Amino acid sequence: MRKVAIVGAGITKFGRRDANWRDLVVEAGKALFDDVPNLDRNEVDSLFVGSAYPERWANTAHVAPMAAELLGIKPRRIVAKVESACQSGAIAIRYAWLSVASGLSDVAIVLGVEKMTSKFMNLTQSTMYIVGDREFDTVNGFTAPPFFAMVAQRHMHLYGTTREQLAMVRVKAGEYGSENPYAQFNRKVTMEEVLKARLVAPPLGLFDCSGITDGAAALLITSEERARKYTDTPVWILGGFQRTIHNSINEAGEIADWLSLRQLAKDVYDHFKITPDDIDIAEVHDCFTISEIVEYEELGFCKKGEGGKFIEEGQSYIGGKVAVNPSGGLLACGHPLGATGVRQAWEITMQFRGQVPRKRCVAGAELALAHNLSGLACMHSIMLYSLKKP
Amino acid sequence: MKEIRLPDTVPLLPIIDPWSQQDPEGPDSTRVYEFYKNLSEGRLTVQRCKKCRKIFYPPQPACKHCYSTEYEWIDVPKVGEIFSFTAMLLGFPMVFETFAPFVIAIARFGNYPENGVQIAGMMFDVKYEELKIGDKVTWDILRIRGPGEKVRYWYYFKKL
Ligand SMILES: [Zn+2]
Repeated sequence: MRKVAIVGAGITKFGRRDANWRDLVVEAGKALFDDVPNLDRNEVDSLFVGSAYPERWANTAHVAPMAAELLGIKPRRIVAKVESACQSGAIAIRYAWLSVASGLSDVAIVLGVEKMTSKFMNLTQSTMYIVGDREFDTVNGFTAPPFFAMVAQRHMHLYGTTREQLAMVRVKAGEYGSENPYAQFNRKVTMEEVLKARLVAPPLGLFDCSGITDGAAALLITSEERARKYTDTPVWILGGFQRTIHNSINEAGEIADWLSLRQLAKDVYDHFKITPDDIDIAEVHDCFTISEIVEYEELGFCKKGEGGKFIEEGQSYIGGKVAVNPSGGLLACGHPLGATGVRQAWEITMQFRGQVPRKRCVAGAELALAHNLSGLACMHSIMLYSLKKP
Repeated sequence: MKEIRLPDTVPLLPIIDPWSQQDPEGPDSTRVYEFYKNLSEGRLTVQRCKKCRKIFYPPQPACKHCYSTEYEWIDVPKVGEIFSFTAMLLGFPMVFETFAPFVIAIARFGNYPENGVQIAGMMFDVKYEELKIGDKVTWDILRIRGPGEKVRYWYYFKKL
């Protein structure tokens, strides 16, 4: 396997954008090409488009060749759209990494893009709820917020996690999101605001949920042989795994325990011979405040059941045990499904380059972990990124 | 100039109809047609494998555990326990918005996981504030009428 690196990264402003799916592709492409002035677009031989549901939200299918044309590239190795709901972008990165590592592709673009807002937000929700097993589970009227609300209920019941601890995750997200101009909600949020916000699915209120968002992000990925042509600071993709052990509610068992993530994290740490203590930055899938708390635990940053205490003690802030979501995470950045995983890699790239505002810069960071989940927390993926060449 | 005239409404299309598959036109429409037929006859059922005797749900035409295609339909016990619950107050999908808000619960029936199921269900005659984990619930049949003369069946939970 060849060594693979991110050598360019671009992003659009996330939010409710006056731009359609195609506009977002071009905007992210422009940002990427500006970031890599030495790139001749004819060198790009592969394109991986992470986009969950353009068929529903942009009323357009077969988007990979369209994206290639919009980017002005003529890929000749792999051109594919990748769908994996909320982690479509992360899985697109996995395929690009695999293709470049194997030697099939030399220069690949990963483009994560989603257009979710419109005048018909109920149509957006109509698509979000079929991500679960629509025929037998989510037909019972629930999208993501009620499911994660039920995770929160179980977590509070079993481990004594408090409403205030959930809110603290959102306060941290605002702290860093306010320093991220690309974030949908780039302002600080007070504890009181979180606690008094309109309820979406109790105990979760509006601020406990990531946004419905338009946005795109793009990466240039290549092998060791070519990396220096494009950048002085390649971000090495060490790799990672993915895991699913159930899909339905009936197979989920205890929903406050994410066994697939626990097993996945152990698998990754063992394979790469590292421990959770070695991680400097963790960009994790905080689709809801409770998600981040469960992830602290399953990723091994703290003991099971102590995620609430972990945020309360400030251990997930920069300067704590591990800097979790210094970008502001999904809670502040918003969550355009296909773009989210790519946005995390963009963030890690900017952190390693030292190109983020000082207040949210993780000084001296060399090893980063990106985690994503999809569906009703039924599938997880982890990727490790390193500033040092492996 | 030529003009074409578009209709003001279109029928409820399968892509936004939550119960699209629960419109069994007959045993050929789905291999687990019996599940819906049972609902229409007042029974909420799961499959039990005739070979390994294990229960599996959601329905599928082969046992999840041993992949035998020999199975029987058994009734879900009438009394279960709330495992978790919430309410859907904001952000409704199309169609659901017509009868929202409502409470949503996950309940366990029987001796889960060995000999029981963990399923989600809507609750209509109770408030979120009136529930707690461990409350006893029962399931009952939900009749879904419309659009037009269409009638379909699902289930919901009731607090005991
Ligand atoms: Zn069997």
